[in-house]
Amino acid sequence: MEDFSFDRRGFVDGIRAVFPLIVPGIPFGLVLGLTITANNIDPLAGWSSSWLIFAGSAQLVAFNLIDDGASATVIIVSVLLINSRHAMYSAALRPKFIAMPSKFRLLGPYFLLDQCFAVADTAPELENSKPPYRMWHFLGTGVLTWSIWLTSVAIGIMVGDVIREEWSLTFTVPLMFTGLLALSVKDRPGVLAAVVAGAVAVLGRELPQGSGLLLAIVLGVLAAGIAENQLEGSKS
Amino acid sequence: MRLWLIFMACGTVTFATRASFITLGDRLPLPDSVERALRYVAPAAFAAISVPLILGGDGVSNFSADLPRIIAACAAALAVFRLKNIPSSLLTGMVVLWLLEWAGL
Repeated sequence: MEDFSFDRRGFVDGIRAVFPLIVPGIPFGLVLGLTITANNIDPLAGWSSSWLIFAGSAQLVAFNLIDDGASATVIIVSVLLINSRHAMYSAALRPKFIAMPSKFRLLGPYFLLDQCFAVADTAPELENSKPPYRMWHFLGTGVLTWSIWLTSVAIGIMVGDVIREEWSLTFTVPLMFTGLLALSVKDRPGVLAAVVAGAVAVLGRELPQGSGLLLAIVLGVLAAGIAENQLEGSKS
Repeated sequence: MRLWLIFMACGTVTFATRASFITLGDRLPLPDSVERALRYVAPAAFAAISVPLILGGDGVSNFSADLPRIIAACAAALAVFRLKNIPSSLLTGMVVLWLLEWAGL
């Protein structure tokens, strides 16, 4: 039985690893706070969606749907579709998390947003690391992104227009994902996954909220999986 | 109150997607081929999120309006390929975007 008591080194390394990835969350959180005020959403409920849902893009879509007067069902289904990619993150991380205590496996995934997945999936220090270190590393990434997210949205609600639109600071969000993409492509099937997913995501933009994104990721992974099998086959 | 209930329901479905496979562990087995293909979730997801954001919301017809963002994102990707870290993509991308906008592109 391994000892899963607080692993300071893992926790600190996790915070360090996710630190650059929280930067785009700040302008995004400020804009989201501003959206809450602009759409006349109750500030406390709007801010609380940051810890209830804890997923920026889904929150933004929910706020805009509320503003459009959409039904509760439409809002919930849209959020589910947008966040369904997290189920794939969950499946991808399962082998790394399987040795962890069941309490953590039940509650820890609360923190599984894009940034924390990216770190848990690719951080080099996690290669051949022990489960307790890995668990606290993940919690470190989660606690930092969570604190920064809740703070940024609160400031956005209270202060309002703090970032100047002409600085285009929210462009750091796609830049971060471009960076993560460049780090995560390691072989030719990986390139194919990215090309297929990117193309389908653009072509599927007119599809109902979130379903284009889901379709894009599924087809990207599928294409890469098939290509990898072909490559394996041609080698043997 | 309606708003709170909606956010709670949204939070529940989001949590369910995140917990799914990690929480169920061995109880929800997947074929080996799927398990192996899951290594490509990261590149597929990050491309599917970033590409539509870079191209803006205006479709192909507005290519010239998207051009500064496309160039900035390519510069950011090149920086990461060389330097292997995220700050380099944020800095390079933003500086290139600002320069292009300042130059009136």
